[in-house]
Amino acid sequence: MTMRIVLCLAALVAATLIHLGISSPLPLATKWVLATSVAPDLFEEVRFYHSVLPRLAMALLAGAALGLSGAIMQEATQNRLASPMTLGVSAGARVGLYAATVFLPGLAAAYGEWFALAGASATMLLVLAIAGRQGIGGLPIVLAGMALNLLLSAVAVVLIIMNEFYVRHLFVWGAGDLTQIDWQGVSWLWPRLLLALPFALLLARPLTLLRLGEQGASARGVPIMQVLALALLVALWLTATVVAIVGVIGFIGLIAPNIARMAGARSTLDRLVTSIALGAALMVGTDAVALYGSNFTSDMIPSGATAALVGAPALVWLAASQMKARDHLRFFLPKGRDRMSVPALGLLALVTAGILAASFAVAVTGEGWRVEWPSELVFALRWPRIAASAAAGVAMAIAGVVLQRLIRNPLASPDIMGMTSGATLALVASAILAGGSIHDAGTGVAVLGSATVLGLLILFGRRADYAPGIMALAGISLAALLDAIVQFVIARGGEEAFAIVGWLSGSTYRVQADEAIFLAICAAAFLALGLLARRPLTLIIAGDTLAGSRGLSVPAARLGMLVFSATVTAAVTSVMGPIAFVGLISPHLASLLGARRAGHQLVAAALIGMSLLTVSDWLGRSVLYPAQLPAGTIAAIIGGSYFILLLARRPR
Amino acid sequence: MNPISRRAVLAALLAMATPALGQTTITDSRGTQTFDEIPQRVIALSWAVVEQLVELDVPLLAVADPEGYRLWVVQPSLGPDVKNVGQRNEPNVERIAELKPDLIVISDDQAELAPVLERIAPVVHFKLFSLDHDNAEATRTSYLELARLFDREQLARERLAGLDAHLAELRGKAERHFGGDLPKVTAISLLDQARVRVHGGNSTSQAALLALGLEPAFPQPATTWGFVQKRVEQLGAVEDGIILNIEPFPGADALFPSPLWKAMPFVRAGRFARVKPSWTFGGAFSVGYLAEAFTEALLTIDP
Repeated sequence: MTMRIVLCLAALVAATLIHLGISSPLPLATKWVLATSVAPDLFEEVRFYHSVLPRLAMALLAGAALGLSGAIMQEATQNRLASPMTLGVSAGARVGLYAATVFLPGLAAAYGEWFALAGASATMLLVLAIAGRQGIGGLPIVLAGMALNLLLSAVAVVLIIMNEFYVRHLFVWGAGDLTQIDWQGVSWLWPRLLLALPFALLLARPLTLLRLGEQGASARGVPIMQVLALALLVALWLTATVVAIVGVIGFIGLIAPNIARMAGARSTLDRLVTSIALGAALMVGTDAVALYGSNFTSDMIPSGATAALVGAPALVWLAASQMKARDHLRFFLPKGRDRMSVPALGLLALVTAGILAASFAVAVTGEGWRVEWPSELVFALRWPRIAASAAAGVAMAIAGVVLQRLIRNPLASPDIMGMTSGATLALVASAILAGGSIHDAGTGVAVLGSATVLGLLILFGRRADYAPGIMALAGISLAALLDAIVQFVIARGGEEAFAIVGWLSGSTYRVQADEAIFLAICAAAFLALGLLARRPLTLIIAGDTLAGSRGLSVPAARLGMLVFSATVTAAVTSVMGPIAFVGLISPHLASLLGARRAGHQLVAAALIGMSLLTVSDWLGRSVLYPAQLPAGTIAAIIGGSYFILLLARRPR
Repeated sequence: MNPISRRAVLAALLAMATPALGQTTITDSRGTQTFDEIPQRVIALSWAVVEQLVELDVPLLAVADPEGYRLWVVQPSLGPDVKNVGQRNEPNVERIAELKPDLIVISDDQAELAPVLERIAPVVHFKLFSLDHDNAEATRTSYLELARLFDREQLARERLAGLDAHLAELRGKAERHFGGDLPKVTAISLLDQARVRVHGGNSTSQAALLALGLEPAFPQPATTWGFVQKRVEQLGAVEDGIILNIEPFPGADALFPSPLWKAMPFVRAGRFARVKPSWTFGGAFSVGYLAEAFTEALLTIDP
């Protein structure tokens, strides 16, 4: 115990000294007198006292708060993967503030933390409702958080596209940066954090008793629900106030409590206190990296970006070393019909065909709504978009069916597993590094990105026989890393930033005829392959033992299915950009309609995916006419909202 | 004979020498294109080319996001009847087709829209912002090419000569104000109280300052769009010279009273001024409007 405290303090002091060394050229003795007694005079002295010191203080405060927030979340949920980032709470706080700034600018400037808290709390409630009591301790809550992250980023994109200049200054803040120009931020933050500290420490004992299990805790007179609610509220308050002042900085709240536990902190109080110290040390350390890096670039590097660069690999490593048994937690969706008859499937096909025809024939024009078959020219402009969205819908739905069967978890999908992020990350990185337009980057790069993620998934997964938990976490790490890089690009502003935001929301706008045909052929081939693999898809969901006894080589089947879904994702992402939620909800809707057998589910999900993306693309072309919204964003909002409704009505 | 009319005579002679009368061949970023007649129904999709066409007095049928243009670019002003064809990033091609244009002018990242737009009407694309060239020079070249297409070379040369004369006049004003000893100047756009965009090499702002004879006070490497993003405190490195901030700046109340800002060498020396809102990603004429705004701001600073 004493040893650990000494080590924590040593890490904190070391990080602080490194930070001070990098951020100001003044000698240490001068720094000391400036910090304690002498009034600054020269610019470098003023900069030290009014910018370097408050930045350091902000790093300490924000890191401590995020560490504590993450630790409380982990104690309350008994889940080592809980954190403000993984549960979507930080993103919720950010969207709360974005929305307030756009719709109530006056109030947002004065009471930003309350809007952030409202956004964070709403997200937390949704995540809890989705995961349910059974899911809190395991993967479901993290997958639910990831789903919320995707939905919230779609909402943020709509806010950005609709108000591109108005929210420009917000982009900078959204990237998560600790730069300070005076002590105001620090003096705003510390009393708000201090307010939460006694509650957090008082909660340590009841949280310890929660470990005994519900009955044990109740027997000792611990009101479980009240303790949980209070604990989460404290964690949310800590996160929301930090987000309100420095934006979203991920990973610190996740990693600090895990290191605390690995360092042997046994009691709850011990873990909370150690997480505070480690969170502060980590934040100061990664911020020093950001400052050091900025010496070599003409553009500044935001703190959130380096935190993600350091944190993402740490999370994957953590996942690989810690996640073993948690991944078989089951998760159920509402029971729909038991089987789907062939005529019903035919009816679904008919409805889909109707939607396709309508998306050709119904449109807004300069003279208002028109229902007519388009002219040759308009048809030539319209069909590649409709064909691409239909084909992408089919492909993502098939990838979703395969992944959900493979992982035996209805929350799995290519976007949540990081396959989409891999392709996207590769495309964004090549656009930034090569300086060209993201639209020129090309399929090769996307496939390379997806393949890299796939390679990593296989590398980490092989040891655990491709256990779902590790797969999902790798995806979450990548998505968070992507978010940090994208935020950085957006914060730089400029025309190319909006091009990247537009692309990241999955648009059919730039799809050419040959790309649409390519995607349509791919989708047909994927569907055919999926139908040919009905037997392994049926067996794999029945469990490893049963599948093995029926002669299926489980590791080979898993590998094959992973390669298959990564290929599907790369094909779609390279043409349309990332498409979220279609791969997640199409398989659900298919089984709700009774399509439970592998073959039926594949066909029904493909039809549903096709309808969903076609409708989204049509809405995107019509709602803000003549401006347009990307199909992927609309699909994410429709899909995400439906998903939440569906889960809220789930039987417990 | 003054140089303008000599150029005009030359241009007229050149025009007579063109082989097929009435045909015009122009060069854009993708090669040469021949037009049989002067386009009448013109749609422009990027604000930088909108500026050039307005400066040629070409009536525009539609542009992308005219509201945004009126809010951010302001000058030269857009006619009231110009139709909206959606956003610059993803202009609405179906709406464009409906308007039956006979020319679509685009620039930079919009290049990839060309294959689609060409189904509707001839497309001219200019690469205006690039690391491979001097952006300010590129906008003059494209302006002259457009002038040739619309048979307004005479007007274009007059306008460019007028612009150069105006820049020379502004430079004279600055020189008189600073008594011949011109200071170094850099333009910035403060984003919020802590972060700033510095307009460096290849920026329209720096081109305007150089046209006024003012070297950069805080030199930055050339980039595609001509700016880098920095922390506000990094401006403290400017020991000698003037910093001009292009408004609007939402964080003024937080930054300007702060001790850090007041301690900046250029603030202490009174070498800072605010510039009225101006568009920093425009073409040749934006250089003129920016130079005007910069001169106005510079005149408020004691020499």
